[in-house]
Amino acid sequence: MAIDLASGSARVELDESLYPLEAVYGAAYIFIDRCYVLLDRPSAGRLRVTLSPKTGAATEAVLRPLIGELANELLSCAWRYEITKANKTVIEQITTRAIAGAMGPPSLDELEKFDFSSDAFEDPLGIAMSWEDKYKKKKDAP
Amino acid sequence: MTVLRFHRSLYLGTAVDEAVKGFATFAEFELSEEPEHWVVKLTHADVDRERRVAGELGNWALGLSVQKGGAGSEAKARA
Repeated sequence: MAIDLASGSARVELDESLYPLEAVYGAAYIFIDRCYVLLDRPSAGRLRVTLSPKTGAATEAVLRPLIGELANELLSCAWRYEITKANKTVIEQITTRAIAGAMGPPSLDELEKFDFSSDAFEDPLGIAMSWEDKYKKKKDAP
Repeated sequence: MTVLRFHRSLYLGTAVDEAVKGFATFAEFELSEEPEHWVVKLTHADVDRERRVAGELGNWALGLSVQKGGAGSEAKARA
């Protein structure tokens, strides 16, 4: 973390293993309405965020809270990113179901074309067979 | 003259180009490439205005890069 009063900017260097790029993008994006934001990669695995206030004097009293806010946003965005990554499969499943549900029931034409006669799957062991069918007495048995 | 260096792994080249086109009327621009950066040199007679245009251009390029899925999205699209 550095404050450069000469250029009127605050710089924060981050470890990319702690703050993924998606989180840095998210946090930086929040500041573009009130700061000029520049991202850079000073070395492999490191990211640098530079913030310069758009208006007003860039004093230490202005820049220091910006760094604090950025750090909070970074943490928040990194955590959101982790949650989204962990729940990606669930989110995709729910979205797919929602879209499929929004498509409505199949039309009569689609039902007419559907082949109901084909077997769903092969069942050589008779697992899908009912208990009565499987163990019923044979007619010619004594 | 202000020189902006946009790292290729962070900014989309198309986003930088689009941003420069958007601000073309506000300053004089010169684009070049370095192995790791897209380089934009801009000049304006008014130093304050030059700083503002440079800052807004950087924000614009960042915003477009984020909206388009980040700098990794071009590599993914090519794969």
